[in-house]
Amino acid sequence: MSGVLYRKELRTNFPLIFLFLMIITMYATIIISMYDPNMNSSLQVLAKSMPEIFAAFGMMNVSSSLIDFITNYLYGFLLIIFPFLLNVILCYRLMGKYIDHGSMAYLLSTPIGRRKIVMTQYLVLLTAMLIVVMYTFILIILLSFLMVSEESLDIIHFLYVNIGLLALQYFLGSLCYLSALIFNEARLSIGIGAGINILFIMIWMLSQVGDQLEILHYLTPLSLFDPQLLSTGDGQSWLYIFVLLLCSGIVIVLGQRIFQKRDLPL
Amino acid sequence: MIEICHLTKDYGNHRGVFDMSFQIHKGEILGILGPNGSGKTTIIRHLMGFIKPDQGTVQIQGKDCFQEAAFIQQNVGYLPGEIAFMDDMTGMNFIHLIAKLKGIHDLSYAHWLINFLELNAQGQIKRMSKGMKQKIGLVIALMHDPAILILDEPTSGLDPLMQMKFIELMKKAKQQGKTVFMSSHIFEEIENVCDRVVIIKEGQVVTIEDMEQLKHHRYKHYEIQFHSLLEMEKFMYQHPDAKRHQQTVSLLVKGSPDQLIKELSSYTIDDFNVQPQSLEEIFLQYYGE
Repeated sequence: MSGVLYRKELRTNFPLIFLFLMIITMYATIIISMYDPNMNSSLQVLAKSMPEIFAAFGMMNVSSSLIDFITNYLYGFLLIIFPFLLNVILCYRLMGKYIDHGSMAYLLSTPIGRRKIVMTQYLVLLTAMLIVVMYTFILIILLSFLMVSEESLDIIHFLYVNIGLLALQYFLGSLCYLSALIFNEARLSIGIGAGINILFIMIWMLSQVGDQLEILHYLTPLSLFDPQLLSTGDGQSWLYIFVLLLCSGIVIVLGQRIFQKRDLPL
Repeated sequence: MIEICHLTKDYGNHRGVFDMSFQIHKGEILGILGPNGSGKTTIIRHLMGFIKPDQGTVQIQGKDCFQEAAFIQQNVGYLPGEIAFMDDMTGMNFIHLIAKLKGIHDLSYAHWLINFLELNAQGQIKRMSKGMKQKIGLVIALMHDPAILILDEPTSGLDPLMQMKFIELMKKAKQQGKTVFMSSHIFEEIENVCDRVVIIKEGQVVTIEDMEQLKHHRYKHYEIQFHSLLEMEKFMYQHPDAKRHQQTVSLLVKGSPDQLIKELSSYTIDDFNVQPQSLEEIFLQYYGE
């Protein structure tokens, strides 16, 4: 990897990452402020009145403990969708744009080479996700500590949830990145990667609505991210994380191979 | 130094490059001349390892341009035909970034180039004119003082003064024994700089010639406006192949104009113009013979 390029990209993209951190801060603050251990918070009343809609957004287990509340309302949908959006934008800015606009020509006219460029930009993507998840993890611990006096958060189990989220985002990001490496025009390179992932997310949302659609569960990689299971520290959840990371690795090796051999429109 | 051997890249619809072979020797400045869409940039993309040949080989210093692109870049300076910088930074930052990526620590030559080209690179790239960007591209291509230069339409967007400066840079490069490969669709640009020229059309080599030879065989249009009609008719009589538009006579002459000028000294002339042959006419010349 190239340290110069890595630092340049992190610096250039930091404002964008910061924007997402702010959005997450806003949502996390709102959700946690709604927590009420006596189970009669407005959110929970609302959830009981329309269970299908809440289920679609991964909010079905209306439980009373703080960690269940957080994983339900934040890790069920919001923290899947926002980091995913950041993944998509970063794939465009780190790879799609350079190929489409032709500025990749300048990177390739240095002795770095394709392989290092692919790996450096991928590391920037992984770093961004790590920043987002680590920030969220620390933020929620702090918010819980400050705003919820009745109950303290089980930090170890909450950490498991975040490792699971990170693995999921790595996988979604790797798929986006693969598509950015394969296609020439940004419209395709970003559209296809994001499109497939959005399809996965929609299948996953449907699969949670009713019993008849539960079979859809097996058609989407998002099922490998189960916040409830992760928060129990169950061994199966570690298997899921391993599968997600392994698939990310396979996807990126594939992308690297294809990019190494293909013609570039520069 | 650079060897292109039976290169074929077929994009369909007769676009691309077909069974093309030529070499560029060490210390030589070779120009490639052809109309838009004739395959100049396709050849350069192969040299830079952006695309791989359907058939044939492309090598620089004996190394395959696609497989060992990263290694080859250490000795190559490249100016793309289309300018596409990372536009969210200033020109100077971009120059510094590429310098670091190329592993250049000593920026004194880059600064010399910036001064020489009268470039003010402090502003944001997206607000720069085409000429400014072209200068930044030139600085980036030349700043690590590479042994080989690959320049795709290097003077496009530059004003005549800067074009002169570019020629100066190329003469200096030649003195230093550098190998240069440059493309153009303008004959004059190549004429002033190159030792040899490869003329291509529709992806195929039309001819490879020494510049001296080419200049010798080159035709030019001379447009002469006579003061009196009588003299004009006398001249027309002696040159039946001349064409007449109202008061002006147009004559195509090969090589040196010496004889024509001596002959014209006996006439009274209002105006005299020289038009170089267009690229199309040069092609016709080769296809005609």
